[in-house]
Formats: sequence, structure tokens, C-alpha cells
Amino acid sequence: MKKKILCLLVILSIMPFITFAGGAQEEDGPVTLTIAGRDGAYGDAMQLAADEYKKINPDVNFEILKLSGSSLFEKSVIDMKSGVGTYDIVLIDDPNATQIHKAGWLADLGPLYKEKGLTLDSDFIPTLTQLGRYPYGVNGTLYSLPLVGNVELFAYRMDLFEKYNLAAPETWTNVLEAAKVISANEPDVHPVLFRGSKGNPIVTGFLPLFWAHGGKVLVDGKPALDSPEALKALEYFLELAKFAPEGVSMYQSAQVKDAIYSGTGAMAIEVWPGWIKNLDNPDESAVVGKVKVTKHPAETEKSSPMIGVWLAGIPEASMHKSAAFDFLQFLTSSDMQEKMADVTGIPPTRTSVHEVPALVEKYAWYPAQLDGLNNGVARPRTNKWKEIEDALGTYLQLALIGEMDAKSALMEVNARIGEIVE
Amino acid sequence: MKKLNKRSNPAFFLLILLPALLVILFLTLYPVINTIVLAFYKYNYLSDEIKFIGLKNFFTIGSDTVFQTAFLNTLTFAAVATVVEVGLGIFLALMFYGDFRGKRPFMITVIFPMMVSTMVISAVWKVLYHYDIGLFNNILRSMNLEPVGWLIDQSKALFSIILVDIWQWTPFAFLIMQAGLNSIPNEIFESSSIDGAGYFRNLRSITLPILSSQILLVIMLRTIDTFRIFGKVYALTQGGPGNSTETVSYFIYREGFSFFNLGRASAAALYVLIAISIIALFYIKGIMKEDM
Repeated sequence: MKKKILCLLVILSIMPFITFAGGAQEEDGPVTLTIAGRDGAYGDAMQLAADEYKKINPDVNFEILKLSGSSLFEKSVIDMKSGVGTYDIVLIDDPNATQIHKAGWLADLGPLYKEKGLTLDSDFIPTLTQLGRYPYGVNGTLYSLPLVGNVELFAYRMDLFEKYNLAAPETWTNVLEAAKVISANEPDVHPVLFRGSKGNPIVTGFLPLFWAHGGKVLVDGKPALDSPEALKALEYFLELAKFAPEGVSMYQSAQVKDAIYSGTGAMAIEVWPGWIKNLDNPDESAVVGKVKVTKHPAETEKSSPMIGVWLAGIPEASMHKSAAFDFLQFLTSSDMQEKMADVTGIPPTRTSVHEVPALVEKYAWYPAQLDGLNNGVARPRTNKWKEIEDALGTYLQLALIGEMDAKSALMEVNARIGEIVE
Repeated sequence: MKKLNKRSNPAFFLLILLPALLVILFLTLYPVINTIVLAFYKYNYLSDEIKFIGLKNFFTIGSDTVFQTAFLNTLTFAAVATVVEVGLGIFLALMFYGDFRGKRPFMITVIFPMMVSTMVISAVWKVLYHYDIGLFNNILRSMNLEPVGWLIDQSKALFSIILVDIWQWTPFAFLIMQAGLNSIPNEIFESSSIDGAGYFRNLRSITLPILSSQILLVIMLRTIDTFRIFGKVYALTQGGPGNSTETVSYFIYREGFSFFNLGRASAAALYVLIAISIIALFYIKGIMKEDM
């Protein structure tokens, strides 16, 4: 009897160790994948994919967190850094990818591809898969896959351009000329729209014209905003802003969208695929068939739309890497991308999906979007981008509201970025 | 008898208090010490870059023009919002002293702004303040007046946020003042009236002196709370236009949670801690003086 009790005690005492050790292993049977994702259309798309996946894999359950961009970044960084492994898939905004990839918090997808006998599909737009690698480029280790093919586009009112016989906005000079004419003739229409709020919004609107004027934020890791090209770009931006609405310095996406949809804006120097999906829906838009969405104008350099892709990766600490990888393949497959684009309007990251006739008919800007994704410019690959963007956004806005002249703003932000990258 | 002796022993009470004391110390003292230590380091949570740099964070933060503006804005916000909220709270409490018909629905209406989330309130006020479609500017236009850039004009944006805070938190000052007023025995007013004192004489010589400790308490609570202003700035202006509505809490949030520069964020937080401690000490001294 004593022996039996002793055996039982020994078994009971080693049970926790067995259980604890087993915790680090992949589990068989039902699995719950926890996804740190975005809110809005991205969240709807993720939910759609999860529901579809569950139909064919009933053993896989999902817990999807639909978070704002800043909250997602905070939560995912804290979790991945602590190594707790709360999340099995995380969404990453591409300018944050360098920091996250460099920190080694995401699983290398190479071995997982190998384990499953798969290879990276060449249908993915090549510029986008490069963003999922570290170091950035074609040879880096693959840590994340492009999920949302966001790229900045340019929108303008065709009817007004035809009415005043204006040249198509192929250069930024054309844009300024058009703004002057519309301003003189259409008192109820704001010639130019953009997001003027400090930080990310104003920087996002500014960068395509900045790049098209030949400006660079960083050259060899050093700030380069004291160049003549940068000055020319900012002076142009301030000139163009004279034709923007009175309160543009506080405009966010909601105000820009309102103005486009209500027909009170003639040109938006920055629109995203998610903003324009209902432009031709008469229930929501007063400008059905009147707005053309196209790639950004060129100037001294070629058209330079900004890429703003969302990537999906598997945290290194995830307990369900294999199941997460299977779902990631499903999520980024052409079938699912087509369905998500059709139902929720999120832009795909595959070439073939951009060429699906039904989608091209539904979203007339798909050719421009594909062109933008193939030829667009990614923000500088530095782990200090958030701070750089914050500083640039502050000084751009100070120039916009007349607190500083263009040259002083650029000199000061250049010095500030120098401190940041030091 | 033995039990009584045991309970009268101070060590016994200390022993009972010890677990709670330890938890409180851990939850308050540890973060403070950790913040103080981190302030002396260049520490980026993302990159794990950590290096002892002495007082450099304090110098760079102190000389950062954005932080200086944020500190000044915070002081302005705290001073104006506190004075107006407490002043209005006292005024309303005096106005609505005693029982009157419809007091209950009135009180519910009064405390309503305090009960609603700051984010919800900010969303509503953002629409009210909208330059093109906001209610305030529509009223101004209907009177043939120029619209105002409530949140887009640098000279007005901070005061527009202060107005939202006043709307939300004046009821708090009003409630405390009303509770204080109700605690004053009516006999005092009656006897002073017999002695010939009028309303203002009563107010100056009886009401306000008796309420002074409550007034100081509300001033302290509102000063500390307004000094930490974050939610309204985040939701209404995000520090803009320019740096006109930057506040120290928003500055710390950006450094800590957007850039994960925990060293710089800690140094900035210590500046705030010192400022709040000085303010709190001043008030506590005042309150204790009242009690003596």
C-alpha cells in the first residue's frame, strides 16, 4: 500500500513538469489561432477568411482581435518582446516591419515552407514580398507575407477637367495649374484635398510629390532634407495647399473621404483603395462615374506612389506555428484574396487577382493600383521610421500653418532626424 | 482579556496591514523606482539597446522645444480648466442650494457628462467644432459672423479642448461643493440672519470659510487630473495644429508607446512627477493647515 502511495506521489510530482514541457510543443487536435489584426475592412476580411477556413478545417477555431493601427503595434510589440506567444498571427504595417523583423520576433517562414513541401508563390507582387524580408530585398530571410496591397493613388474629377479643358494630371505642374483654374471657376469646390494632420497623415500626403521632385528623406542612413530638391518639393506643397480647404491642417481620412464622396473636392493627392471602394455606389456617392483614380503625377522623377502594405507573420513564440502557417497560406491564396477583395474591398497582393475581370470591372482603378504596387516607393527601411515620420510630420505642419517658412522647417527637421538616427 | 491585550499591541495591527502594505508598495514604489532608474539610460524597448547616459535624457528632454511647449500647454490647461471648473462648481452649488422642484432630474442631467467616456465626448465635440459642418460655426454663419477654426486655429485649439474639459468636469466640482454646503447646519445661517447678516456677508464669513477645505480638495484633484490630460488631446487634435495642443502626457505616450524610447519617456515622466508633487504638496499643506 505504501509503495502504491509512493508511486502515486512520484507520478503526481512529475506531472506538472510533463505538462509544462508539453506546453511548448505543437498540440494535436482542436487548435485556437489568436490573430492580432486590424479593425474596419481588414478586420472584416480576416473574419471572412477565418469563417471560410473553419468550413474546411472544423478543428481550427479563431480569436480575432480587431485593433486600431497604434493599438495593434503596441500590443503586438509587447507580446512578441515578452515571448509569451499570445498571438499566432500578427498584422504588421510595412514601415514597422524592419523593427519587428530585425528583432527576430517572427518565425522564419523558410523552414515552414520546406516542412510543408511548398515554395513562395511567384504570383505575389515581387516588390511586396521584399517588404516581408529582412534584410530588405530579394535575398533576405522571409518573415512575413504581404496580405493587403495598399498603395497610395491620386483621384480627380474628370467632369471638371473636361469642363475646363484641363490637361490630365500627369505632372505635379499640371495639378497646380488645374487647381488654379478650378479655384477661379468653382467657388463651392475645394480644388485640392489631403490629410494635413500632423504626423503620419501629412507625411503620407507629402511623400509622393516629394519623391517625384527628387527629394530623399535618408541617404545612406543620414538625413537628406536639406537638399534643393526637398526645398522645391515643400515650396510646391505649400503653394498647392493654398487651394486646399480652410481647415486642412486638421483633416483626417474622414474629411478627405467626405469631400470626395460629396463632390466638394476636385483632386485628392492621396487616396487609398479602402477609401474609394464605394465611389461608384449611388447610395453613398454623389460623384458616380465622375472620379478617375489613377497613379500619382510625375515631375523631375517618375510617378512615385507610396506603398503602404500590411504584412502577416507568425510570432516566434507562437505555440501553433504549423497551424498558423497553414492558415497564412489560405489567407494569402489567390482564391481567398479574390473573395476578400470582392466582399470587403481590401486590395490584393497578387498579380493574378488584379487581373480578375469581375474585380477590374468592379474596381476600375485596379490597373493603376497594380502599377503603383509594382513601381511604387516604400518608406525608408529603418527601425527609426516612426520617430522620423513624427518629426517630419510636425515640421511639415508647422510650414503648412505658416508657423515656419519652407527652408527653416526643412533645416530644423533635418537636424532633428540627425539626432534620431544618431 | 488576553485577546484584548493582543489586539492592543501595535505589532499585531502592523502584521495585519503588512500584506496590503507590501502590495501597495510593490504597485506604487516599484514603478516609480524603475522609472527613476530608466531615466538615466538610453533604452529602446524594441531594439533592446540599453546604455547608461547619466543626466543626458533630462537635458535633451528639457531643451526639446516640443516638450517645452507641451509643458507650458499643460500648465495653461491645468490652471485655466481648474479655476473655471471650481469657480463654476461653487457658483452652481450656491445657485441650486436647498430643495427645489425637479431637483432629481436636474442632478441626473448635471452629472451626465462625467459618466460618459472621454472618447465619446471627444467624438461629439469634434463634430460640433468642425469648421465646415459643425454646429457652432453653423450658428455663427446664421448670424452672419465669420466661422471660427476651433480646432484648426493655433491660438484657439487649446482653449477649445479646455472648454470640453470644463463641460465634462464642472459637475464634479459642483457635486462636492453641494455636499459641503449641505453639511453646514442651517442654524448657523439662521442665527447670522438674526444678527443682521445678509446673503453676501453669510457667503464671505460662513459659507466659503467652512467650504474652504472642500474647495482646496477639489482644486487639488482637478489640478492633478488636468495635468495628466491625454484622452481629449489624442481624440481631438493629436497635439496639433503645429504643437499648439501638445501636452506632457501625449509627449510621454508617443515616446513610450509609439517609439518605445523608455529612457526618454521616463525622464519626461519624472519632470511631470516633480511638478505634480510640488503642486500636491502645496495643496496638502493648505488642507492640513485648515484642519489644525
